[in-house]
Amino acid sequence: MGTLEWIKIIIGSAFLICGVVIFFTELFGVFHFQYVLNRMHAAAMGDTLGITSCLIGLMIFSGFNYTTLKILLIICFLWFASPVSSHVLARLEATTNENLSERCEIYEDLDVLEQELAGRNMTKDVKEDRL
Amino acid sequence: MIYHTIYITMLILLSFMLLACLIRAVRGPLIADRLMAVNMMGTMVMVMIAVLALMLKEGYLIDICLIYAMISFLAVVVLSKVYIGIYEEKHHKKDSDNDHTVKGDLSDGNA
Repeated sequence: MGTLEWIKIIIGSAFLICGVVIFFTELFGVFHFQYVLNRMHAAAMGDTLGITSCLIGLMIFSGFNYTTLKILLIICFLWFASPVSSHVLARLEATTNENLSERCEIYEDLDVLEQELAGRNMTKDVKEDRL
Repeated sequence: MIYHTIYITMLILLSFMLLACLIRAVRGPLIADRLMAVNMMGTMVMVMIAVLALMLKEGYLIDICLIYAMISFLAVVVLSKVYIGIYEEKHHKKDSDNDHTVKGDLSDGNA
């Protein structure tokens, strides 16, 4: 095999290993966290970054043909679909869990949240001015 | 030969992770846990199908991978909407009858 072939194998394998490591991190996070809204952070990472790394590695292995273009189409579709499915899942949890306030802070009125965030920003600005 | 070794290693690693996802889907206490685990399993199966397509040198398996992505996305969205609709239907039965008829139609539309 020539030098170019070896470079192709090394770069593709690096992307594939990256993808597998991200999948493993996803699994670790899903088993480590205790609540589904925390687990969703880890799960959504694998759905976008993990599968993208794996498929880019496979694209490098495949060379330049129609298979590569189809894999690119899968990546584009997943980048649109995966955040939507995560959002719908989070909405399912927020709708059906009646004891949600035990798990996280809930603001009934959005104005209260906006005022609190504005207050935080103001204090941060004041601190930065003092520094 | 070296490509074959890489593909086989990928498939073995992914199949072990798939088993771990299945354990999460069985153990998950909430409905959202199980749906999330099914979503993760769909992602890993997609990578496995893509690896198989390159290993067997059959380009049309990539089309199956694309269809699998669409159906997996559809399954998660539809199941979430169905469970939200069921919950709202149960919740609104406690209200008065007028509210029930109006909101029952809405929840049917959502489901």
